[in-house]
Amino acid sequence: MYLRILKRDLKRKKTMNVILLMFVILATMFAASSVNNIMSVINGLDNYFEKANLSDHFIINVSDNGDEIADMIAQKSSVKDFRREDQFFFDDKGVTRNGKKLIEQSSTFLALSIDNAQINYFNSDNEIITEVKEGTAYFTSTLASSSNLEIGDKFDVKIGNTQLTFSYAGIAKDAFLGSEMMGNSRILMNSSDYAKIAADEKASENNQAQIFYINGYDKKALASDLSDLPNVQFNKDQTLVRTSYIMNSIVAGLLLIVSICLLIVSFVTLRFTISFTINEDFREIGVMKALGLRNNSVRGLYLVKYFGIAVIGAVIGFALSLPFGNMLLKKVSDNMVLANGNPILVGIICSLAVIAIILLFCWSCTKKIKKLSPIDAVRSGQTGERFRKKGVFRLEKSKLGTTGFLAVNDVFSSPKQFCIMTSIFTVCLLLIMSLANTANTLGSEKLMPTLCATPSDAYITDTEMISRLMTGESTYSELENEIEDKLAENNMPGKVHSETLLFPLMEANGKKATAAFMYCKDTKASDYTYSEGYAPKYENEIALTKQLADKVDVGIGDKVNITLDGETKEYIVSAFFQSMVQLGETGRFCENAYIPESAVKNVMGFQIDFDDHPDNAETEKRIEKMKDIFNTKYVDDSDGFVSACIGKDVTNTLNSVKLLVIVITAIIIIMISVLMERSLISKEKPEIALMKAMGFNTRSVITQHTLRFVIVAIAASVISAVLSLPVTKLCIDPVFSIMGALNGVDYNLKPVEIYAVYPMIVIISTIAGAFITALYMKTIKASDTSDIE
Amino acid sequence: MNTTILDVKDLCKTYIINKRQNNVLRNVSFHIDKGEMVAVMGPSGSGKSTLLYTVSGMDKMTAGSVNFCGKNLADMSENDLAEMRLDDMGFIFQQMYMMKNLSIIDNIILPAVKSRKNKENRRDITKRGKELMHKLGISEIGDNDINEVSGGQLQRACICRSMINDPDMIFADEPTGALNRTASDEVMNELTKLNDNGTTVMLVTHDAKVAAKCSRVLFIVDGNIKGEYNINRALSLHERERGLNNWLQEMGW
Repeated sequence: MYLRILKRDLKRKKTMNVILLMFVILATMFAASSVNNIMSVINGLDNYFEKANLSDHFIINVSDNGDEIADMIAQKSSVKDFRREDQFFFDDKGVTRNGKKLIEQSSTFLALSIDNAQINYFNSDNEIITEVKEGTAYFTSTLASSSNLEIGDKFDVKIGNTQLTFSYAGIAKDAFLGSEMMGNSRILMNSSDYAKIAADEKASENNQAQIFYINGYDKKALASDLSDLPNVQFNKDQTLVRTSYIMNSIVAGLLLIVSICLLIVSFVTLRFTISFTINEDFREIGVMKALGLRNNSVRGLYLVKYFGIAVIGAVIGFALSLPFGNMLLKKVSDNMVLANGNPILVGIICSLAVIAIILLFCWSCTKKIKKLSPIDAVRSGQTGERFRKKGVFRLEKSKLGTTGFLAVNDVFSSPKQFCIMTSIFTVCLLLIMSLANTANTLGSEKLMPTLCATPSDAYITDTEMISRLMTGESTYSELENEIEDKLAENNMPGKVHSETLLFPLMEANGKKATAAFMYCKDTKASDYTYSEGYAPKYENEIALTKQLADKVDVGIGDKVNITLDGETKEYIVSAFFQSMVQLGETGRFCENAYIPESAVKNVMGFQIDFDDHPDNAETEKRIEKMKDIFNTKYVDDSDGFVSACIGKDVTNTLNSVKLLVIVITAIIIIMISVLMERSLISKEKPEIALMKAMGFNTRSVITQHTLRFVIVAIAASVISAVLSLPVTKLCIDPVFSIMGALNGVDYNLKPVEIYAVYPMIVIISTIAGAFITALYMKTIKASDTSDIE
Repeated sequence: MNTTILDVKDLCKTYIINKRQNNVLRNVSFHIDKGEMVAVMGPSGSGKSTLLYTVSGMDKMTAGSVNFCGKNLADMSENDLAEMRLDDMGFIFQQMYMMKNLSIIDNIILPAVKSRKNKENRRDITKRGKELMHKLGISEIGDNDINEVSGGQLQRACICRSMINDPDMIFADEPTGALNRTASDEVMNELTKLNDNGTTVMLVTHDAKVAAKCSRVLFIVDGNIKGEYNINRALSLHERERGLNNWLQEMGW
């Protein structure tokens, strides 16, 4: 008997049951894949670092004094052991195919021999690379992801005067430098190929670099002990390397937030649907109870039905979660070796949890059955004692047309039902808006203060020029003059200045720290923003970030000793500021400070301010012209400069995630609209028939139903627009805080995108879902009024 | 001189249920003149309601012709039919169904506000709605929710709604079917008054007492009009009812 009732129910409410099944599938798919993903990413880093055999501390030295540095490290008492990995550094012009650059990248490339590899590198199958055949090479990081080479493709590497042709062997995962924030691509080659480069005099003189992997007895003592190594480009512990994977974690985290939101949406919709279906069946429930079926038997009937749907949905959802989870994790797993764990077991547990939650919902929804007498149930849940006014508006007083009036009145007469929908749409919209605000901010000049730079007309971040500075091939003044001369020759004279990156040793209270210090002789320290204190005014004043100040335990007004180029001087901390350079461990010298030109080994970029202050259009033209003049694509405006500093990959990844979320959200919204509208049609069939009988044409009725959803979508858009910034701040400020901006950032809110495009996507998706479903009302005839029960 | 308002010729209506053809109406022909009050009677499943819905343009006919006010319903589009139902016809149903989110007065005036022919402003329409309610003795329930009134009051509100656009003809499907005797009498009195004022009425009923208030009765069996009975309204209601009952007995009722 049970089965017969169930069979009829499944047949009669086919659409509702199918939609319910789809939501169960979605909920399971999101639950299983997101839990698996977050487990992979959270456990992933520890596991990855362990497998890669990373050390406690890392030193990168870009000079030919590797032996000297090695000796100094060996003499440190806190050093337990260390490994030295020799390599050659070069810029993106050094890797070519058919004479063209393989990729354009602003950060430095490194080449090393696999036989001298001091950490483990992994291939695409996550196996340790132990051998690289002669004439072949692996790529890591951006070079691997952006070169679009197929295995076996030929390319050339030129370092110094030596050019070698390699055949591409595949991608290699590099735990130390492979993150998007580090972004230094490496080429892994055979030792005999490496020896050919090492034999090149020019390369040996200008391009030598060493990476030291150091383990210590005590990590803090080790960092402090190693902080006085002179002129090394990178001197950081594992925490920073770990933090450099933040973007991977952010992507995984965002996907988790997306999954959680979608999960909430799915469950809310599920609850609504179950509750709605049961309310619809009150009459049948009444008949069953009147016939003598016990409460538990009636409840059992629903539990069996939803258990069936939940099991089928969970099985399909679980099956789909595996490829879906892999798709979501692809970006993360491209440059990480993720611990697989047991995705099947996790998936099964999540699927069982979804089934349990659905049954719980069903159990709670069917509680009402117990309270109702057969007669109450026959009255479709109406007790006949309701005195609350349902309609809130009066037709006489309304200025709206009948269709509009009925739609508005319906929405306000069933607030709970439409509030649930508004909340779901609002969550979806806020999700898209927060992602968009983050992606737009990461590529906007609003981040300029946190990157310790001032606005300029154009920025050159070409690696080749910066390499010349790093290798000592050119001094900063020479480069500055060269750029200014070229600009003048091309009738766009301008001044060049740069934010210089210095790496002095700072000491105070017996604690030492090496940090990036910013210095620019052509701007005033007061041109930058400070969170506390006043801008360094005198040559012995500096500003520090809170993170750096905490490292040596100083506050505003305290004194610190800074050793630069072998000379130690005392400085007073005059201000705190926030910065995302070196993940917030930054200081700033006053423009009056004496910084020898020999100490200037690295710059953020070359900033150009044209003498004639051209308008934006002209500036854009000149930027394009400069790309030809300087033969690089790394000439940007302020937005482009910020994007280049943060990492274009990061912005691109966020934009991809945003696009994925938009598509998923649109599908969810369409599904919800279809489900809700279908539920409403089946609930309001008598009213629809009555309206038709009274003389409303089908178009009016469809418009009325669609309008209700438009009202909901507009309400959600307005609420989301108001909440967009606070929610973005709430969710994304902690991420920027990890990157160094402790006080949050000024978000770049693009009004057209946030207040028009995304709401329109939601409104259009809603209209599409509701309208297409409302077309079903064509099949309801005026004569169906006779079937009103 | 009487003018025909509804002219039905060879009307057929067939449903296909589980691939089986079910001929609900078989070559039904009759006509109703302006000002008449015609009752359709017959056993359950004989096709009474189907006849009412088909001749009022709410349901499509399979064959035959239905002319309402000289217009052939078969030639009219769905939208034209909807407009005709809105402006020229009124409907009363057994279940007294109303829009649940509207107050009684808003339910009553809704067709007038919707009508394109009606150029009155909403205040005037509301005033007219209230006058109708007053006439039918339910003026106090205008602002009430539909769940707050009795069945009789609700059915009278439905009559008000059917009258709001001053239709040429009112179709009523068992208007007293869900009411007790007192409420039923009240509703029928209102319909009779309407008819006395010139509105044509066609109603479906099982109740001989209700049918006795009409001027003519069509008796339908198995989708065919088996007989027609003219009622002399000059007689007392009791006599009319007795005469009708006798005739119905002859028809096999």
